[in-house]
Amino acid sequence: MSLDYLLDRLISFFTSLRLTVVCLALALVLVFWGTIAQVDLGLYKAQNEYFRSFLIYWGPKGASWRIPVFPGGYFIGGVLLINLIASQIRRFSFAASKIGLWMVHVGLILLLLGQLLTDLLSRESTLHLREGEARNYSEVEREAELAVIDTTDPDADKVVAISQGVLAAQKSVGPGDLPFTARVKRFFANSQVADRPADAALPPAATQGTGRRAIVNELPHVTDMDHRDVPSAVVELETPQGSLGTWLVSEYIDDPQTFTWNNRTYALALRPLRNYKPYSIQLLKFRHDVYPGTDIPKNFSSRILLQRPQTREKREVLIYMNNPLRYGGETYYQSGFDPDNRGTILQVVHNPSWLTPYLSCVLVGVGLVVQFATHLLGFAFKRRTA
Amino acid sequence: MNLLSFSQWRLSCTRWAPFPLVAALAGCDRGQVQEYRVAKEQTPAQAQAQPATLPPGHPDLSGAPAPALQYKRPADWQEAPLSQMRAASFRVAGKDGKQADVSAIPLPGLKGSDLDNVNRWRGQVGLPGVSEAELATLAQPVEIAGQSASLYEQAGTNPASGEKSCILAAITRRDGTAWFFKMTGDDALVTGQKPAFIEFLKSVSFPAGVAQAQLPPSHPPIDGGSMMAQAGTAASSGQLKPSWDVPSGWKEIPGGQFLVAKFVVAGADSAQAAVNVSKSPGDGGGLLANLNRWRNQLSLGPLAEADLNKETQPLDLPGGKASVADISGQDARNGQKARLLAVVIPRSGETWFYKLMGDAQVVEQERDAFLRFVQSVKY
Repeated sequence: MSLDYLLDRLISFFTSLRLTVVCLALALVLVFWGTIAQVDLGLYKAQNEYFRSFLIYWGPKGASWRIPVFPGGYFIGGVLLINLIASQIRRFSFAASKIGLWMVHVGLILLLLGQLLTDLLSRESTLHLREGEARNYSEVEREAELAVIDTTDPDADKVVAISQGVLAAQKSVGPGDLPFTARVKRFFANSQVADRPADAALPPAATQGTGRRAIVNELPHVTDMDHRDVPSAVVELETPQGSLGTWLVSEYIDDPQTFTWNNRTYALALRPLRNYKPYSIQLLKFRHDVYPGTDIPKNFSSRILLQRPQTREKREVLIYMNNPLRYGGETYYQSGFDPDNRGTILQVVHNPSWLTPYLSCVLVGVGLVVQFATHLLGFAFKRRTA
Repeated sequence: MNLLSFSQWRLSCTRWAPFPLVAALAGCDRGQVQEYRVAKEQTPAQAQAQPATLPPGHPDLSGAPAPALQYKRPADWQEAPLSQMRAASFRVAGKDGKQADVSAIPLPGLKGSDLDNVNRWRGQVGLPGVSEAELATLAQPVEIAGQSASLYEQAGTNPASGEKSCILAAITRRDGTAWFFKMTGDDALVTGQKPAFIEFLKSVSFPAGVAQAQLPPSHPPIDGGSMMAQAGTAASSGQLKPSWDVPSGWKEIPGGQFLVAKFVVAGADSAQAAVNVSKSPGDGGGLLANLNRWRNQLSLGPLAEADLNKETQPLDLPGGKASVADISGQDARNGQKARLLAVVIPRSGETWFYKLMGDAQVVEQERDAFLRFVQSVKY
């Protein structure tokens, strides 16, 4: 059995229509199963385990082992993409009568590729502004970072941001990244922080800062779409001269906790992950209009001032429903607002492949029209000459 | 050209080589640890008060709203982000991680004497309440925005943390608004900062048309000395409020630190009681510990474990069993006769506390309504 023969069989497999049908059937089952799984896992966890994976694993409850039981979204989508591309290459022939088909298939390839790129490259965050407030960063609410901020300099802060992944793995950071070592003693993916009663049996959460007066309890992962996990961690700061104690950091703790070491002042804050930008957005006015005499919302809009010092750009923009701001490779949508109508919540989407669905739909549509028109004209011409 | 065999395929495959690079883009994640420099953060009030101090190189914000409060900030005080009712907020860092919090809070329409506020602050540091006559001896004259005012200093032990704490507070009234200036924190740190606090008060000025907090005129003062804040509405189910039937006559007010909800109930002759709803993880310290904490609030001695069942009654609720405690004594804050009715409800992984406390007559009047309220709760 020669290598050429084996590889020919492989090509035949990847270019077969049967493989396409099997992939589509598996995709149907995956979508159904993943949708049902959302009930227990929540949207984001179900997305990661069912659709953003090559294999779906299963293990008995309480067991430490899991085995792959079904192909995941990346696997099925990847095989489908290979199947589509391979069959197009294999069956490609430059004929006027096949141009339409070629366009339709290229459109489908572009759609699949575009969605893969969107999944890999897109980032979503939010920008919450009160009237008058300006910010040059947006926040990823479902991912936290531990910010160790050197606030000593009057003009600027030096920030060392430690990702949630490092905290969850309970690793240490520094020296090198930090002038001291931050050792994660405990991490709670979802937690509740409460005031510690004076006579409580539970010890305080930490030996320094706010944690001396608090207790922290781990909570189960949230699956409700209207709420999210709120993480906390207990971190020990170690210097060559000894420990600076343990500190409770949590998204429940609003104000950063400060300490000084080696004549420098630091602040600790566990906060939503920040994406900084080279421009700032200031909310000038938020409007929530209702139809007269009713409570039915008519319009939500945010008038913002966009400023970019490097290019001396300064302009007002109105963001409202179905009218986002597209700037700097990001799109700002009107997403929500504060109950007192004096604050706005903008959804910030960074998606480099945002055009691919439009291009692919145009290609598929035009391809279909061309294909049908080619056959129609050909048929009409044959009838006339018959 | 139809590609029917691998040998022909090999030729055309080179044109498709870039495809695998797509997979390499996967997980273009942020680094695990990132380091960067950023300009100092501005809060909405700071942006309004000091538009020229936005990030370096940032154009001026002409036409920004008028500043809310003007003052001269002491050198070692750091501006802190404003929350809720604060017109100014600072942090002071001391040695060994000690901290103090400074706030300026305007409350429109608040009338009456300083006695209630002073006794509330005294309670927060474990000191007994004082009478109106004793209040005059505690006041220290200071100047705020060119007006005479009184400064009160309360040093004691925080009953919650057991640490030595001090509260410096001054109240001034202006144009129908009561302004509360308060410094709270470690005893030694706050005492050392007293001269700076007095200088800060002297430097305060109120520009014309200063923005004021919007609160109902009868709203009780809000404690601005929180060290922790509740998570926002987008936070996890740990801060979910259950649904319940609120009896008529109960007025909901902001709960403050870690209360799920708070209501005030007014009785005759300005007597009142408060209903606090809170929850704690696990058993919240246990029924006996909480009972003794409440007995302490009513100037009573602690109870032994053996007497626990005598002091509590079981209560059947739709979700399970609860314990009810009914305690009468003297309010440790002001020495007045008071009564406390508490329902403790253990649930899976947490314990809920419902407490009605205040004037004994008001508590008696509201007893049945309180129990119906607790029974109406749906989690």
